[in-house]
Amino acid sequence: MEDLGFILTTYIVTFGSVAAFAFAIVRRGRRLAAQLPAKDKPWT
Amino acid sequence: MFRIARLIAAKDLRVELRSRVVTNQVLPFAAIVMVMFAFALNSDAVVSRVAPGLVWLATLFSLLILVQRSFAIENADGATDALRAAGVDPSGIFLGKAMALAVQLAVLELVLLVSAVVLYSTQLRVGGIVLLLVTFVAATIGLALVGTLYGGLAGGVRGRETLLPLLLLPVVAPVLIGATRATESALGTGGATVADGWPWVGLLAVFVALFGVGGTLAFGPLIEE
Amino acid sequence: MATPDIETPALAASTRAGTGTTFTRSIGLATIVGMIALGVFGLLLSPADVQQSDSVRILYIHVGTVWIAYVAFAVTALSSVAYLWKRTTSLTWDRFAGASAEIGVLFMALTLLAGALWGRLSWGKFWVWDARVTSTAFMFVTYIGYLAVRGLGGSHHQRARRSAVVALLAVLEIPLVHFSVKLWRGLHQDSSVADRTHVNLHGLMLFSLFISLVAFTLLYVWLLMHRQRVLAMQDAIDNSGLDYALQQRRDEGDL
Repeated sequence: MEDLGFILTTYIVTFGSVAAFAFAIVRRGRRLAAQLPAKDKPWT
Repeated sequence: MFRIARLIAAKDLRVELRSRVVTNQVLPFAAIVMVMFAFALNSDAVVSRVAPGLVWLATLFSLLILVQRSFAIENADGATDALRAAGVDPSGIFLGKAMALAVQLAVLELVLLVSAVVLYSTQLRVGGIVLLLVTFVAATIGLALVGTLYGGLAGGVRGRETLLPLLLLPVVAPVLIGATRATESALGTGGATVADGWPWVGLLAVFVALFGVGGTLAFGPLIEE
Repeated sequence: MATPDIETPALAASTRAGTGTTFTRSIGLATIVGMIALGVFGLLLSPADVQQSDSVRILYIHVGTVWIAYVAFAVTALSSVAYLWKRTTSLTWDRFAGASAEIGVLFMALTLLAGALWGRLSWGKFWVWDARVTSTAFMFVTYIGYLAVRGLGGSHHQRARRSAVVALLAVLEIPLVHFSVKLWRGLHQDSSVADRTHVNLHGLMLFSLFISLVAFTLLYVWLLMHRQRVLAMQDAIDNSGLDYALQQRRDEGDL
């Protein structure tokens, strides 16, 4: 495939950074949820 | 609202007259910036060609300092808080400070224009004088309005001053584009004709209208503590 | 010594869940499926373009991220209006605005990256000074400023009010910048560089684009729900910290 370097960079950086962002949010969510009573988490 | 504005504007200008911070510090800064441009660009021809742009860039950089100063004098003794606690209309404060800032900007721009004539061999064109004047007036009012608006949020408070350039410079980009193109037309730089310049003045006028109204409405909520 | 009314971490640990719900779990699953499909179709199954060869594959990502970046900022603007509309009660709107802006900044950065790489392949340049590209970059910087304003401190309502106003000013400013640049570059010949490049999409290529839009939309919703809930918990912890401090002062007999 032509220009494979640029194309793969795009896909890897995009998926990678999104995954990292998602992971960070979920981990933060679990840590905070451990500190709070259920009333502060109306979605549960 | 206008009575408050006049009082506040007079107060700000009186503070400047007594402290002379703008005349002693900001104007020299602006002049030095003009010299630095020449060092960086290293070519008389290039510098002459881009002189209008350099004048407005130097204006923008100096604007940041002027805005910080404008709000530093408020925060020094909690003056704005006292005003608002006394029930003073924030729109009046906004317009008053914008007026004072506009006066200071006008002086600054005059100095920069003279610097350009002296340092960059810029020549004023009789046919473009009206366009030049209208451009400067419109751009000055626009810059004063947004400067005061974002200055209220980010200006003069320790820990917040670095936020001002980030917020303000993107917003004033249309003024930079419009004022520079109109000035080029007024001076005939790069073959621009006076007729080319008036649409740019139109852009500046739209900017003034939008941020005049928007700023008056937004200033109060923005500075509420 | 009186017992504080606040649950200690030990008590709350029994509810160790996170920010997930059935809704977000199903969205999450759909998102993963969509992203895998995007990768498969984008990189493998769809053909190379006749004119642009394989560089068109970058567009499948690029169009998806820019779509979401704009949606995110629209949500921030609308949430800001909603907050200001009924100010006293709805910090939830403020948190949606903030969460959406964070997601928007990320996707705007990805958009600019993919766009630059694609531009390098298609036009030979990483950057062009046309209205669309420039105002995209401006939006990016403006929303970084918005996030900085959110970090200024003060009460939650102060944060909400300030950032809502800044967001609405941005809605005013971005079209103005776009128009200014358009007027400016209209004088230059290469303003039409962006327009001169026509991508004729059909069949599998169009389908890949469609997958991209759907997958990224699902991703946005998932990220927004989770991030918004995290912000809600952070605000709750701020509040309970204050409550706890007040309680301690009362216990000491100072209040």
